[in-house]
Amino acid sequence: MLIEFGNEMNLELNFMAQGLAGTIAAQKIAGIVETAPSFASLLVHYDPDEISFKDLRQETTALIRSLGPSDDIMLDSRLFYLPTMYLDRWTRECVEDYCNKIKRKEPDPEFVARINGLADTNQLVRVHSGTEYWVAALGFWPGLPFMMALDPRCVITAPKYNPPRTWTPQGTVGMGGASTAIYPVATPGGYQIFARTPVPIWDTEKRFSVFHDSIVLFRAGDRVKFMPIGDEEFEFIEAKVKDGTYIYNVVEYQKFSVMDYKVWIATLDKDRRF
Amino acid sequence: MIEVIKPGLETAVQDYPGRIGYWAQGFPPSGPMDDWSFRLANLLVGNPVGAAALECQFVGPTLRFRTATVIAVCGADMKPTLDGKPFPMWQSVAVNLGDVLAMSFAVVGARAYIAVAGGIDTPPWLGSRSTFHKAGVGGIGGHALKAGQVIAVGTGNGLAGRRVRPDARPAFAADKKWNVEVVRGPNDDWIDEDGHQRFLMTEWKLSSKSDRTGFRLDGPQWTFTAMATEKAPEHGSEPSNIIDQGYPVGAINLAGQTPIILVNDGPSMGGFINPYTVPSAAFWKLGQAKPAEVLRFNAVSVEEAQTLRHKIDAICTESSII
Repeated sequence: MLIEFGNEMNLELNFMAQGLAGTIAAQKIAGIVETAPSFASLLVHYDPDEISFKDLRQETTALIRSLGPSDDIMLDSRLFYLPTMYLDRWTRECVEDYCNKIKRKEPDPEFVARINGLADTNQLVRVHSGTEYWVAALGFWPGLPFMMALDPRCVITAPKYNPPRTWTPQGTVGMGGASTAIYPVATPGGYQIFARTPVPIWDTEKRFSVFHDSIVLFRAGDRVKFMPIGDEEFEFIEAKVKDGTYIYNVVEYQKFSVMDYKVWIATLDKDRRF
Repeated sequence: MIEVIKPGLETAVQDYPGRIGYWAQGFPPSGPMDDWSFRLANLLVGNPVGAAALECQFVGPTLRFRTATVIAVCGADMKPTLDGKPFPMWQSVAVNLGDVLAMSFAVVGARAYIAVAGGIDTPPWLGSRSTFHKAGVGGIGGHALKAGQVIAVGTGNGLAGRRVRPDARPAFAADKKWNVEVVRGPNDDWIDEDGHQRFLMTEWKLSSKSDRTGFRLDGPQWTFTAMATEKAPEHGSEPSNIIDQGYPVGAINLAGQTPIILVNDGPSMGGFINPYTVPSAAFWKLGQAKPAEVLRFNAVSVEEAQTLRHKIDAICTESSII
């Protein structure tokens, strides 16, 4: 069953979807196997031997009513600091390869800066790395986070590739619509790409303790802060990852209050970019 | 232990219902595509219906048994032989140390299942032994069997000579036309009435560009309602684009104008609409359809689909074994 909260991409609708997912998990409703939140909807996987579609609809409708406005929602939210090299050579080469083999296009960083009215690619880096990102959903590929900028001064948008790329380097950071994603492994893709992180976001071998209870780094409701780094730092971290001594920079103790967030963004001048 | 002499086209370890509970992280269930034949094969050799077994796609493997055991082959007819002699399907058979089971290409159906008493004993990964090829996890090293590999088998006490009641077998389409149940939604309101009529009237051809992640269908163009054409820009530029949403397994996903049925290893979310969903009770038909065969869709209600599922679950029990 798919529960749709609205017809647009905004944080409010995702807070509702994640709030409902949390409530369903806490209530342990018999017959609900699992839920998967997305930007503005929640997919519910149920066992019809245990709960009928009709009863499921009644139960979830009652839960949505009990949720109230999103202001009251408090979500567990870890914060990940993710070293990331912007305007890196790997994503640039990938775009050049696409231009040579599939279709000519303006280089992604220049294109995204231009259509969002930014002065240059340096400002794109300032704006894109100037906010925490909200993990709205995971999917498409195992562990791939779909994220939205929490600071309205950093919201930028970009159309997707048409046709899509046949490959994207592992760890690439890119944008499509108002969503930012990180490619966990080398896969095809359609987002505009302009950065790369050396830090693995999934680990099938569980080499790092942060993966002790899951092989994917993120959960819906986590936050990510990209930390711009240069070549030397990228190579330093890459070596640490390779020998298994990299330490993930995670803040574990935080909760995200939708109300506090709304109070904060009301104080901001959205027209002033970093 | 079982030694792989020839791997076949794509033979892989699967269990039922597969890797459940990780959809929110993007992991599909995997598992056997024809879970009806799969469960019967396990029952025949005395295993729980969900025990790990081998799924063989289009062309089956050649295997040598390093221990005497009891096996059963169900599903597509790949003309199996044991030491060169025809091997009976839909029944449990004792095999001796050194016996060689050889399978050819599927004459009827697309996927055959080999169950072994005690089940395949590869290490479970996220709670399941199912192979998820695309991410290289589960099964043996995350991929289909390779020549020379040795497969570990658990201990079982299967009995030879057990058969599936003929009326308990899934009926494969002899004329290569499959009548597949579909339930409307979740995004049926994006398709106009002509579009719905056309979908249900069309004989869709299963494309050769199909695998365990998606079954592509060749057929006519789709037409849309205003929801698809007059929408906020964040949905995307194509009429079938929608803000990324969760995909149910079995969703008929409209990528541009091409419908793709998202099957066992499909993506958990994405930015295209799903006007129809194939209910789990009809997944076995998809598992047995070959490229170039025809799929016709028959709209049923959620209740009808679930009644059908109960019926198949009741068949996949000891009551069907004689």
